[in-house]
Amino acid sequence: MSKLQSRRQFISGCARYSLGLTIAGVIGFSLTNASSQQWLWQIDPFKCTNCGRCATHCVLNPSAVKCVHAYALCGYCDLCGGYLKPGHIARNTAAENQLCPTAAIERKLIEEPYYEYHINEELCIGCAKCVEGCSSFGNGSLHLQIRQNICVNCNECAIARVCPSDAIKRIPADEPYLIKGGFEHGQTL
Amino acid sequence: MVRLYKKHIPLKNHNNIFLGLIFLLMTVPTQIAHSQQQRFPKPEFQTEYQIPETERPNPRAPFMEYLDLFLLLAVLSLTTWLVLKKRSRKWILWVSVFSLLYFGFYRNGCICSVGSLQNLTLSLFNEGYSVSFTVLAFFVVPLLFALAVGRVFCASACPLGIIQDLVIVKPIKLSPWLQKSLGLFPFIYLGLAVLYAATGTDFIICRFDPFVGIFRMGAEFHMIVLGISFLLIGMFVARPYCRFVCPYGALLKICSLNSKYHLSITPKDCINCKLCKDSCPFDAIDFPTDEKENRASRKDFWKFVFYAALIPVLMFVGGWAVSGSYKLLSSAHPDVYLANLLVSQPELMQNTENLDIETFMSSGKTLEILVEEAKIIQEKFRFGGWFLGAFIGLVIALHLLNQVIFRKRSIYEANRGDCFSCGRCMDYCPVGKPEHPFFKDKPEMVVKS
Amino acid sequence: MLNLDFEQQMNETEKIKRARQIAIIAGVFTAFVGVLLLLNYLQIKKSDPLNSLVLEKLVERLSSEPNNQHFVEEIRQVDLLMRKAYFTSLWQVRTGAYLMLFGAIVLVLSLRVYYSLRFAIDQPSADQIKEKKKRQLTQRWIGFSGALVIILAIMSAFFTMNHLKNYEPKKMLVHSKSDDESIEKVEIVSIRTTEKETDTVIITESTDVEVKQPEVAITQQPKVVVFNEETVKKNHNAFRGSWGNAVSSSTNLPTSWDGATGKNILWKTELPIHGYNSPVIWNEKLFLSSANTSKRVVYCYDRNSGKLLWEREVNNIQGSPATQPKTTEDTGLAAPTLTVDGEKAFAIFGNGDIIAFDLNGNRVWAINLGVPDNHYGHSSSLLTWEKKLFIQYDTHKGSKVMALSTETGKTIWETVRTNEVSWASPILAKIDGKFQLIMLANPNLSGYDITTGKQLWSVDCMSGEVGPSPVYGGGLVYATNEYARMVAVNPKTGEKVWEDNYYLPEVSSPAYHNGYIYIATTFAVVACFEATTGKLLWEFEAKNSFYSSPMIAEGKVWVFDTGGKAYIFESGGESKLISSPELGEKVFSTPVFADGRVYIRGIKHLFCIGVN
Repeated sequence: MSKLQSRRQFISGCARYSLGLTIAGVIGFSLTNASSQQWLWQIDPFKCTNCGRCATHCVLNPSAVKCVHAYALCGYCDLCGGYLKPGHIARNTAAENQLCPTAAIERKLIEEPYYEYHINEELCIGCAKCVEGCSSFGNGSLHLQIRQNICVNCNECAIARVCPSDAIKRIPADEPYLIKGGFEHGQTL
Repeated sequence: MVRLYKKHIPLKNHNNIFLGLIFLLMTVPTQIAHSQQQRFPKPEFQTEYQIPETERPNPRAPFMEYLDLFLLLAVLSLTTWLVLKKRSRKWILWVSVFSLLYFGFYRNGCICSVGSLQNLTLSLFNEGYSVSFTVLAFFVVPLLFALAVGRVFCASACPLGIIQDLVIVKPIKLSPWLQKSLGLFPFIYLGLAVLYAATGTDFIICRFDPFVGIFRMGAEFHMIVLGISFLLIGMFVARPYCRFVCPYGALLKICSLNSKYHLSITPKDCINCKLCKDSCPFDAIDFPTDEKENRASRKDFWKFVFYAALIPVLMFVGGWAVSGSYKLLSSAHPDVYLANLLVSQPELMQNTENLDIETFMSSGKTLEILVEEAKIIQEKFRFGGWFLGAFIGLVIALHLLNQVIFRKRSIYEANRGDCFSCGRCMDYCPVGKPEHPFFKDKPEMVVKS
Repeated sequence: MLNLDFEQQMNETEKIKRARQIAIIAGVFTAFVGVLLLLNYLQIKKSDPLNSLVLEKLVERLSSEPNNQHFVEEIRQVDLLMRKAYFTSLWQVRTGAYLMLFGAIVLVLSLRVYYSLRFAIDQPSADQIKEKKKRQLTQRWIGFSGALVIILAIMSAFFTMNHLKNYEPKKMLVHSKSDDESIEKVEIVSIRTTEKETDTVIITESTDVEVKQPEVAITQQPKVVVFNEETVKKNHNAFRGSWGNAVSSSTNLPTSWDGATGKNILWKTELPIHGYNSPVIWNEKLFLSSANTSKRVVYCYDRNSGKLLWEREVNNIQGSPATQPKTTEDTGLAAPTLTVDGEKAFAIFGNGDIIAFDLNGNRVWAINLGVPDNHYGHSSSLLTWEKKLFIQYDTHKGSKVMALSTETGKTIWETVRTNEVSWASPILAKIDGKFQLIMLANPNLSGYDITTGKQLWSVDCMSGEVGPSPVYGGGLVYATNEYARMVAVNPKTGEKVWEDNYYLPEVSSPAYHNGYIYIATTFAVVACFEATTGKLLWEFEAKNSFYSSPMIAEGKVWVFDTGGKAYIFESGGESKLISSPELGEKVFSTPVFADGRVYIRGIKHLFCIGVN
């Protein structure tokens, strides 16, 4: 081995060890801040302003954001602000009275005068029109959530970036939903 | 959406009790509605009706992320063996196809090592966010492999690289000046990505990832266009993203330059047959040097001194310039952008068409607080700008310096920084293959090899 | 190729031809699908089927002619069509993307085969340019690129404006207030109509509202919320009214009511959680708070209708204790009264939590001052003036007075006090044309500069556990406490003008009006003194003891005993009881007045009393 080569190898070895030390340092330093915690994106329904961007900005089409129904909070109203258009002429399932653009809300009579509303997530596009109606005129039991079985969990959620009210946050993966009634306002991250 | 109702308020349809209700309720800002969850009490059902549970479909099981990590390690180890021992381009190709299908199309390109850089940065600068062990491992493992055996990650684990590798059809040679000056960009991009992640502004690497849209079969229109353009260019300029954009590649390059072991074109000694010379689509093969010509002259020595002296100057000038451009850089942050917009055009505050402004106005936060927050973010950019600028200056200076350092080389060998360990060149090497057509009329060479 | 016989060569050309053909077909196919996808994208973008304008128009027309079956049919058809269009396009995009991917894979494979066969590398190319030249060129270009980056950065530094730098908060107007207020107007109209009129009349009223809308639109310009002496005088924005001085400017107040029959009770609403604090009012909104050991809540009511506008739980405050401090039942965690500065309502709780909401219930800021060490529970109320929120924080572990910024909650000044723990509230008094913060505790009555927090004067004159707050009037400050004394102090000189100890209140604070001091004691006596001399002028034996403080309004003295019986006296040197109406519910808080109405928080309900 020539002198030149051994010198080169020495320099390269030094560089390698210092790089290795740097990486070890980065690992050590980040380990102080690392955990086995994995993260998912979710909407804080109390911060959500129902702007409608969830429907249009998700990388998936249709969006991974769906309307969910916190049944425990629902008033089972006949006159449902989430189901009926503001100017509806009758309280029935006819197209001219339905607020949902894809007819994703199924209305079922339980007993007079109570109706159950169920979201068909196959059809739901997450436009939040019903959420707006329900929270303006009703109990706010309809609200948006990211469906974790659909969400591809992008490293940078495209909706979170455009959410005007910062309602989309990373949450720990062991509690993947923030469904109303199940947690207190402000309890999220 | 609130507007929807406001618009509908003066309904012409009067004989409707609903109207009265709207009047009562429209006046309550939507925010308030949230707290009054029981505006209508839960009914007491006479029938046996059971209130259903809200469905909560589960996310992908968390342990699957450890499977991802295991597969990454397996792929990297296997590739290492294929590159160093087995020396088989064909097998590397198949491993890379597997990675493309798994990490790319099946896992939708998230999480990848390239993006993990930002998660790590964010966790270091943001106390509320902790990086998970798997993400940390995704960041570190390829770097350690690069330090040991070169960029095997690029060869067969990175879906972004592989998709480009597979579309190479007729690579053209790029002049060194073009390669080297375009090669500055990954470092700048790396610095920017760290700055943006550290300030909590954005994950720009993920946002401008051209291929993730293809893996997911859907993305914003312009990102799809960008991805397809990269692939079209990639047919002729091999791996354009890896070579001229990828910020993680910049890190891998630094590690790989000093790697302990590395792919070698020949299994034994090089016989200088020149067959591999044009085999690399990435222009990553260094040729033997011409002793007469390739020697540092006196002029080169002074140039070296000059460039070395330039390092602190460029670092300072770069730091000063980039820190000065904090206004532009920070406007990518939504709060800074909004504050700037509202301060420069206060009339926009009445604009109900702009959703961001409308939401801000109804949030009850004062502009004063927003401006204060925006100024804090701007300060971070101004401070971080010094580091980013100094880093860019250093990179430029070192690139220049590298051009006046002459190294003796007597064989054809892979450039450790630029080589992706794809193994193409190995197929061209006749050494150890006595039946290779190259030896047909030079049988004496076989013995030599 | 180095060694191919003729036949193989034929085979090769054949293969090349095949590969080229496949490549062309795949290329055309991929491009075709791509164009279709692009067209689909453009079309969906242009005519968003789920937000169809046609449908919207039809629905609008239907609402004007609700019985037109033709419209109904048409809407149903269009709706179906639009939904079909949307879901079909989704399907098209998905299928198209897969087809395109397939086409692209075939294209790439065939192209690879084609090129590898046609341009197999067999002879290495020759070098054209010399190494040195290459290197020189490279250096130049790296230099160019580097310079370009730096120049771009410098240019952006010089040519981008930073508007935030020139931003002056003063210019900024409080936003969105006008909008809210305009809505409030509408609200009042509509509520009154629903209360009084039948459904058919609502129509005329609501058209009325419609007519008013343009006016509303005009007022939607940003305007400054006025928080000055005039508006504070009009509003009962703190404990014992404006500046805590026990005087209200309200008129046309009812002097008779009956909680049992509902006479003159305009509305009453049940308060879900108990609290001893008194309501405060800003324009049409009334605020109060409640707390138990599990939660602390701020409520905002429409004071005209009694409707709960919002309620906000106070939680998630950094530093707030997990378990609540022990308090006695007659104090609780929500004894201090809120205050409002026209833009925000501020509340403090017995655990040291202090929070600011805007009038729409959006949380603006919140902090915890540290749990007060107080054996009954913290009860000193808040006051605000000149963008500062004043807190008298007298505890066993040291006493202090602080001013927080109403905008951010940050401490503007903080002054350490040397007195014992106390339960009295501060007042603001204009002395020599400048407002002073006056506080009473054991042993001193003292005045503070509100801009700097400097103590201006202090007189040792009190003892015991101080509950009653001081009052200012006629140039003197009056302070009193059970088992101690009542004193009148001249704040300019610091001298005690007189001192007496015949009747002393324990919880209730004194009131001043036109040269008379009124107090109400725990032993159920209302007494009046001459303010300049301290001479007892009259006394009145009531039914129950007094915790609620007397208030002066419309030249009368108003005070509720704990049994809920109110006593309304003519203010003056002679005892003249105008009336003594019954509320029918225990009362511990102080009444609040606002144009023609009396608001009083009972133990269970909030009442609005007015002539109906």
